[in-house]
Amino acid sequence: MDIHSFVNFFLLPGIVQGSIYALGAIGITLVFAIMRYGHFAHGDLATFGAFIALAFTTTLGLSPYAALPLAVVATGVFAIVIDRVFYAHLRALPKIITTIASFGVALMLRSFVQVVWGVNTTSYTRGITRPENWFGIRIKSHEIVTLLVAIALVVALHLFLTRNKWGKAMRAMSDNPELALFSGVDNAKVISLTWIIAGGLCAASGFFLGLNTELKSVMGWNILLPTFAAAILGGVGRIEGAIVGGLLVGIAEELSVLVIPGEYKVMSAFGILLLVLLFRPTGLFRGKVL
Amino acid sequence: MTALLTMKNLRAGYGDADILFDLSMEVARGEIVAIVGPNGAGKSTAMKSIFGLLDIRGGSIAIGDTDITGWAPNRIVKAGICYVPQVKNIFSEMTVHENFEMGAFLRKGDYSAALDRVYRLFPDLKAKRKTTAGSLSGGQRQMVAMGRALMLDPQVLLLDEPTAGLSPKYMEQIFQISRDVRDSGVAILLVEQHAKQALAFADRGYVLAAGRNRHEGPAAELLADRHIAEMFLGG
Repeated sequence: MDIHSFVNFFLLPGIVQGSIYALGAIGITLVFAIMRYGHFAHGDLATFGAFIALAFTTTLGLSPYAALPLAVVATGVFAIVIDRVFYAHLRALPKIITTIASFGVALMLRSFVQVVWGVNTTSYTRGITRPENWFGIRIKSHEIVTLLVAIALVVALHLFLTRNKWGKAMRAMSDNPELALFSGVDNAKVISLTWIIAGGLCAASGFFLGLNTELKSVMGWNILLPTFAAAILGGVGRIEGAIVGGLLVGIAEELSVLVIPGEYKVMSAFGILLLVLLFRPTGLFRGKVL
Repeated sequence: MTALLTMKNLRAGYGDADILFDLSMEVARGEIVAIVGPNGAGKSTAMKSIFGLLDIRGGSIAIGDTDITGWAPNRIVKAGICYVPQVKNIFSEMTVHENFEMGAFLRKGDYSAALDRVYRLFPDLKAKRKTTAGSLSGGQRQMVAMGRALMLDPQVLLLDEPTAGLSPKYMEQIFQISRDVRDSGVAILLVEQHAKQALAFADRGYVLAAGRNRHEGPAAELLADRHIAEMFLGG
């Protein structure tokens, strides 16, 4: 295999898919860092975000790219509502209860999408996009947008967490929740902030998944395992870990096709998850212990 | 001297169990008060009850004329009381500077004066301002912890075993800094395991046993009392 086919057929698709996982994994890692539970409705929240974007394109006649920021905000706000309705009153109980509750929320979200938009596959745009060809590297315009927007979102999040007062408060609460409270930080506000960010990133991951493949009601559920694998591989609670983890899982999945049938791609995420939990449970960037 | 922090006949505990019984204390501006006593006497618990971390069943706590009994910690901070826990008292994954910024979280506007003051009190930390706080030595971590609490210019500073596990050199340094803070008009209440050293440096002391007041008075008198020394200070 020459270098061009390796890049075109394995590396680039892996990086694109990996950035989609990374956007979801950042949310999972943030939710765990602040609230200390695994959020299993994350995949279906991504589906929800993707279909909200679709709704903006069909009802308002917007282009998919114009619908994205609206869907990001709408899903972020919706994530706060989910938290207030389903998770807030479970806060003081053992965290496993919230984790199980999030499975219930996942089912509700998926059913809602199925009732409103049906179970058939659909897409944002019709027709086939021809890839651009740059010195033998073939990349489609929506793949370039996926990468650029993912990078922009990650940079924006990094700046927010390191420069902004409330971003620092989020890191402080992840680091030492009691001391954050003793410093006067209002935990409820930090939790809402976490949800709007995690929900927004989730919508972006669902949108790009739909843009690069197609929209269907189980799309988010299908990427839940690789997204969790990415978060755990990177080290739970570590944003840089979620990004690296997402890219590694995405690339590993594409490369796995060399040795196993394509339908079993998702097994590679499962394999990574198993290996990390066995040999380095804190992940590459030494995250919090699960 | 009129008291700034007043605890009157406090009865408090966790869940169903009472730990403190009829406890009374006072701390005035510009004095250091040490709480000493045997293990399990309720020293740290008494301090936590001031900061709203216990269920209060009776009695009252006030700062100045404001009754703060039953308030939540983030509200008590706004009333001018800052608390430095014994353990987990820094943001270990954040830099020294960010720890101080978090200390100033409730401040509106410019807080560079408070920051300058903290770096003046802890000159060693100025060079380490970009260092991750968790990677510092035990003594320096304690300084970060105190610095964070001082960023709000508190009226009352609560220190839970500030010298636990520190070398004599750092212990002396922490005591000296506490005196400087006291002299700037802050009321300091501290819990100490090293009872003799604490009473040697504090202005007044309370000796606690089984969640009750046993003795109180000027630190030097408590230290000189043979009976107290035998019973509570390890001979």
